[in-house]
Amino acid sequence: MQVSGSIEWVMVVNLIIWTGLFLYLRRLDLQVRALESSQEAPAVEREP
Amino acid sequence: MKKRTAFAAFRWLLWLWLAAVIVGAFAYAPLAAKFIGQSSRILFFHVPMAWAAFIAFIAAGVSSLRYLFGNRPRRDPRHDRAARAAIELGLLFGLLATVTGAVWSRIMWGAWWNWDPRQTSIVMALIFNGAYLALRDAVEDAEKRARLAAAYAALGLVVTPFFFFVVPRITFSLHPEPVINASGQVDMNPRMLQVLLASGAGFTALFFWLHDLRTRVLAVADQALEAAAAGAPRAGIVGAWGSAPPHITEPGTAADPATASQRTSN
Amino acid sequence: MFAKEWRSELRTRYALNTLALFAVNTLVVVSASLGPLGAAPGRSSETLPVLLWLILLFAAAAGLPRAFVHEEETQTATALRLAATPSALFCGKLAYALTLLAALEALVAPLFLAVMNLDVARPGLLAATLAAGGFGLAAGSTLVAAIIAQARGKGTLFAVLSFPVLLPLLLLAVELTRGAFAGGGSQGQGGQGGAGVVLMQLLLYDGAVTTAGLMLFPVVWNP
Repeated sequence: MQVSGSIEWVMVVNLIIWTGLFLYLRRLDLQVRALESSQEAPAVEREP
Repeated sequence: MKKRTAFAAFRWLLWLWLAAVIVGAFAYAPLAAKFIGQSSRILFFHVPMAWAAFIAFIAAGVSSLRYLFGNRPRRDPRHDRAARAAIELGLLFGLLATVTGAVWSRIMWGAWWNWDPRQTSIVMALIFNGAYLALRDAVEDAEKRARLAAAYAALGLVVTPFFFFVVPRITFSLHPEPVINASGQVDMNPRMLQVLLASGAGFTALFFWLHDLRTRVLAVADQALEAAAAGAPRAGIVGAWGSAPPHITEPGTAADPATASQRTSN
Repeated sequence: MFAKEWRSELRTRYALNTLALFAVNTLVVVSASLGPLGAAPGRSSETLPVLLWLILLFAAAAGLPRAFVHEEETQTATALRLAATPSALFCGKLAYALTLLAALEALVAPLFLAVMNLDVARPGLLAATLAAGGFGLAAGSTLVAAIIAQARGKGTLFAVLSFPVLLPLLLLAVELTRGAFAGGGSQGQGGQGGAGVVLMQLLLYDGAVTTAGLMLFPVVWNP
């Protein structure tokens, strides 16, 4: 990967940011999943 | 739990895919000939974002049509939520595409903005998305809101091809040749093309994941409102839109589904 | 339906007056602010078509939404829902909007040409553009008017909703009008062929919006 020095840094920063985004989205996904299952149990399920 | 593991696998795969795209964009793909310095690398992000915005538009239109014309007489609110989520994401991706495009434009031609037809058409799409959300804000009744917004999004579906395909071609454009150039052939370095297509696929998958997340959030919010309304002493019949019995509806209180849904999940 | 629209309109002449006054006012402002000799001759073919269509657009935005809002406000809407099928109602409203817009264009276009001292190189193209563009304005506006009639914030909401939908129409119409004034055809395309293609796109737009209106109107009108 012999490109000019600064472009490597841009790539690395990109990877860091995108990984951060992913972890955040994953966390959201799990939270929503938890909310969904907590709603299913006690509340009455409506027909859509 | 098979579905769950499938989704988990999908997420990790998507992350790996996009990580590979990023590495590919900076290390594997060569620079394009006519561009200044390293700026052609922005192509691998700018184009897929614009593409995702376009997909979002189509998704919103299709969901709206499904909402309006499917499952009569009781329309399925899931499609309405899906349409709204798609519009919001279209706004997000469109904004990102515009910004990356402006940065690129600045590097290449010294101006952030020059009303190049493609810039114009993405702005038109952004305004349309904003108008859709403004319409939702302007209608109080939940069923009417969904119906009118869906009609507007369907109209947008009809007009979209003009935004994205007709308008950019009627006058001279500063935009580089589209991937398929005038003579109908693909004229791009193969490595660049690979990364570009891979990035496009990755961003499309990202859009669908975000869309799924957003739709589920809206569903959870709607259901919470219904539960709140149904928790009233005189429960009665509660429809899919959570309309409460009359004596509950005091404007501005949490138990008022019309304004409550307007505050949160409209 | 169409006849009914015009009968109720002629009783008050409200929309006609509003449109005409608005358009003439705007025209006066535009022309006066451009100064005694109008825009510089070299640039006039670029900027004047834009001004013409802006005047038409804003006048339409001022006058057309009333078609539906009036119904909702006076609550004749319920009677209409019982009396007519949605398609008939839409066609009636559309025809009304078309004639209103045709009258508007018949008023504004000659005045505009006179006041700006324009010689039209290709009058046929101009007429076709005004017709096709006017049609699209009317069709798009009628559907959007139906949508906003049931919402709050009618006037501004109409502008907010209709402008994105009408923008492609405007860009195409302006392009064609430029060609009609200048005579050289669209930038970069040149000649009869270029204008013909753009005109076809405009007509395609008209057809698409009208079809969408016909199909979506029943959904907007009835729950």
